[in-house]
Amino acid sequence: MPGDDWLHCHCYRRRTILGLALAPLLALPARAAEEGEAAKPPAPDDRFVFLTGPKKEQVVRAEDLALGGPQVQAYPIAPDGTVRNDNRLNLVILARFDPTALTDETRARAADGVVAYSAVCTHQGCPVNMWSKERNAFVCSCHASVFDPRNAAEVIDGPAPRPLAALGLKLKDGVVTVASTFSGRVGVTQN
Amino acid sequence: MTRKQWLLSSVVAFTTLVSTAVVAGPIENYSPVTSARLENPEPGNWLMTRGNYKGWSYSSLDQINTSNVKSLVPVWSFSTGVDSGHEAPPIVNNGVMYISTPYSQVIALDAATGDLLWRYKPKLPEGFSALHNTNRGVALYGDKVYMAGLDGVLVGLDAKTGKVVWSAKVEDWKTGYYMTGAPLVVKGKILVGVAGGEFGVRGFVQAFDPDSGKSAWKTYTVPAPGEPGSDTWQKPDTWKTGGASTWMNGNYDAESNTVYWGTGNASPWFGDQRPGDNLYTASTVALDGDTGKMKGYFQYHQNESWDWDEMNAPMLVDFHKDGATTKGLLKPARNGYLYWLKRNPDGGISYINAQAYVPQNVFKSIDPKTGRPEIDMAHKPATGKAAQFCPGLWGGKDWPYEAYNPKTAMVYIPSNENHCNNLEGKVEERVPGQWWTGVAIPDLHFSVDTKASFYGELQAYDVDSGKRVWRNLYPGSMMWGSLLTTGGGLLFTGGTNDREFRAYDAKTGEQLWHFKTNSGIIAPPSTYEVNGVQYVAVQSGYGVDAAFQQGLMSELVGWQKDVPQGGVVWVFAVSK
Repeated sequence: MPGDDWLHCHCYRRRTILGLALAPLLALPARAAEEGEAAKPPAPDDRFVFLTGPKKEQVVRAEDLALGGPQVQAYPIAPDGTVRNDNRLNLVILARFDPTALTDETRARAADGVVAYSAVCTHQGCPVNMWSKERNAFVCSCHASVFDPRNAAEVIDGPAPRPLAALGLKLKDGVVTVASTFSGRVGVTQN
Repeated sequence: MTRKQWLLSSVVAFTTLVSTAVVAGPIENYSPVTSARLENPEPGNWLMTRGNYKGWSYSSLDQINTSNVKSLVPVWSFSTGVDSGHEAPPIVNNGVMYISTPYSQVIALDAATGDLLWRYKPKLPEGFSALHNTNRGVALYGDKVYMAGLDGVLVGLDAKTGKVVWSAKVEDWKTGYYMTGAPLVVKGKILVGVAGGEFGVRGFVQAFDPDSGKSAWKTYTVPAPGEPGSDTWQKPDTWKTGGASTWMNGNYDAESNTVYWGTGNASPWFGDQRPGDNLYTASTVALDGDTGKMKGYFQYHQNESWDWDEMNAPMLVDFHKDGATTKGLLKPARNGYLYWLKRNPDGGISYINAQAYVPQNVFKSIDPKTGRPEIDMAHKPATGKAAQFCPGLWGGKDWPYEAYNPKTAMVYIPSNENHCNNLEGKVEERVPGQWWTGVAIPDLHFSVDTKASFYGELQAYDVDSGKRVWRNLYPGSMMWGSLLTTGGGLLFTGGTNDREFRAYDAKTGEQLWHFKTNSGIIAPPSTYEVNGVQYVAVQSGYGVDAAFQQGLMSELVGWQKDVPQGGVVWVFAVSK
């Protein structure tokens, strides 16, 4: 599925510094991001902003996420306020679960049950932005690959060849924050 | 080709920063394609997707016929090296074959020997994805080959070398538009349509200059406020995201200079979110061949709510009744009805008749004058209202091509029965470029009659009487095969999950020959002649919706889950 016009949304423009709404949350004084900062992959201490929904463009807090899914779509936001939405490969899905429901590997990366994965399907690159109530799992919006959010986004059905890359997380005053970079390659490996 | 020859004759040509053409040998004496040739294609060539402007998928070649088809053997094959669904026919011009593959690649081959001549491999943008990565064929005109790319870019390639002569951005892929259809060349212009009906695009047909790539005209298939038909979009702004994509190529009536093009589902899928008939969704539009101006239309079902695209253009077929001949259009629609329509001299379209070719539970009746169906609301899904409908969203048939054989006066239809969907709509926030139908893929609720004796089928109807003459049933497979019919009295197709390529007697439906290929065949076969030898060619490469549906059938009725993927061109001739 092609498309991410939201990249060109007036509020998310490259090198844009988010304004008043987020200013109190910014740890650093606003400064112009370096060229291409908005295209760089998520880095430690990045937070996330909602792509859609009533809190669109606002920073994601753990309590914003429904316990047990479904996931939300979000882009990383650098400490200087640069939203990293200039590359579709930076789209992320976030979800929150009971920590005891997570595998050890996933719990080690999670923050109080919150997990983060690349939203880019490893099959053909479509957004993994759907949720199966029956499977309690992420579903790709193009070809219905199903990923287990509690177990490192392992493929449990469909044509995807690999799990989704995971991000390590931490919570800072309840704000979902990147602790470590993607665990593997994001997106498709061929074509 | 030996390694030495390869080193001597090959170059790697960096045509642009984003694409490469591998040239293995020069094409000499290329025959430029003219409008006259397209209007009257030589029997020995297959110059366009459907073989002719009428969309018949028919060749008059008869060297391979009902008597000798049992001796058909593969004479060469070629691996495309590409996965996903291969849906393009081999296009052949005087001994040169052009194949397109998923991800918008084009391969030129010697049609008699299978030797590689050149390959065009575009680099898709970083982060790119498409719902369907397929491509349904190239178009030829002059000394160029035209490819409507997945990323919304139309390219004109040098037919001899594969080098990019020009490229034109048709639409921004990030907004949900993409292209999978073959361009159609009409009066020296390159016409393309767009996909994206699941992403809330607004469909159109656009024409480009063949030499410069400059836009010549663009006709939207959803009218803007104030334009004719805009009153069928009763809720403000719904037209902007209304669908009516144009993802299959059209057909052309040279006599009246009219292009007939099909349009897709309305968007989002649930009609109550966009009150009105929603012209020109689920329609055939008639466009002036010079200007693109709309001359007429026929809408198959109003306020579309079943994902029943009517993207295939109808075939141009004349009907005979009571000694009179009617210039007509014939279309097995995705909604499960077979339509007889009339081509008016001014380009307009009139309804004649329709009959179901598969069981359908949505239409209570069809108005005999207008062709407008009366809808059974119990089978029309809406926002917050679940409803089952049959056939399901893949329809009585999806995109695979039907065929018409003038010698038998029959239309052949690859179809599917005994399947349904149960949908319930939601109001969804639109993110440009993301799925936006009002229902998520895990909630499509595809179902089948698990006790049915068959699912896929191949049907033959007499076009004058409307009577079914024969049919073949596929108990263990859906039918996703495009058809080819010939002057040799044959019908070629694949389409089943057992990887078979088959030849049938076009008169009786008797299977006369079959061959098991590498993968499932969903691409249209074509036929051509080189040095007095007739060949039949087809790409085998399963994928896309056929594979998705196969996966669902594995859950529902236990079919083998995976049909092997990977594209191969197969070329057959009668063994001597």
